[in-house]
Amino acid sequence: MRLTLRALISHGRVARKMGLGPESRINMLRNILTGLVRHERIETTTARADEVRFYAEKLVDYAKRGDTDEKAMKMASFWLTEKDLVPKLFNVLAPRFETHSKGYTRMARLPNRENLDRAKMAVLEYKGNPFPPLYPVKKDNELTLINQLLRGYREDRAQQLATKA
Amino acid sequence: MINLTALVQSLRRSLLHIESRLLQAAGLDRQLAPALAVNGPSLLPQLDKEEEVEQQQHHPGLSDSILWMAAPKKRRTIEVNRTRRRSDSKLLKVKNNIEPCPECGHLKQKHVMCGFCYAKVCRETALIRQQIKEMEGGPLRAPTVETVVLYEGETPSEQDKDKRIVERSRKRPAWFSQ
Repeated sequence: MRLTLRALISHGRVARKMGLGPESRINMLRNILTGLVRHERIETTTARADEVRFYAEKLVDYAKRGDTDEKAMKMASFWLTEKDLVPKLFNVLAPRFETHSKGYTRMARLPNRENLDRAKMAVLEYKGNPFPPLYPVKKDNELTLINQLLRGYREDRAQQLATKA
Repeated sequence: MINLTALVQSLRRSLLHIESRLLQAAGLDRQLAPALAVNGPSLLPQLDKEEEVEQQQHHPGLSDSILWMAAPKKRRTIEVNRTRRRSDSKLLKVKNNIEPCPECGHLKQKHVMCGFCYAKVCRETALIRQQIKEMEGGPLRAPTVETVVLYEGETPSEQDKDKRIVERSRKRPAWFSQ
């Protein structure tokens, strides 16, 4: 039962509007995607990063088809405005994500921008990039008391089993 | 206000009169502009009289329009003011999702990255990117091979055979394990 005016209320509309219109949105996302493919880690607003994520993953899916594929090459040349990134996409990113079926990108929210607008920022990166990781891998410290005690217990158990057998 | 109603009434009367005249002139039902144009001379003296009648009446001046604008009736008491100013929507909300970062101890929100740790990573990536820029030597020269960053005293391993090597002249930081 439609109780509201269709044009003015946007309940349940999931598609984002960016820039001056749909064409402007695509152009903006194209620029951001080119930057992402070049630098492999970029910092933008949360909404833009979320939008680009979809296109970044789709682009890698197209790249996996190989550069002999007509459609894949057309897509790559449309989406990457800097043409020296097309070989990079096909020869670096596609082999890197050979084993991954999906989830080639990682997005993390950052503290708000320092400017007056206090915009919500996010960092978007392709996995497997050469830079230092955003979330450092936590290594277990062998020298803590609990770990030393557990190690002693494990050794004792192994000794007991050895003497029993 | 009385003047206004009289004005409105007179306007309505004049409009109805014009309509009846138009219907008469046209001899048809609900035909407006062409009929008026055709029978101009016969209607004109009538319209002049109507305009004079209207002008004799009071124009809607500024004093009249002020009378029908919205205005507060009574002074808002301090109690009413206080309840409005201190209503729940206007008070500052308490955030209970702030916690210290386990790495550096600076405060961060639970769903957001630690600003200090990210700044640390940013600084190192900026230096790596500077080195890459020097190596590439110009714009639009992205290589078609992977890149790996090696610090002082490190040799390329088995996996880094066909990768571009970016040398950084410092010790490997503890938080950047290979």
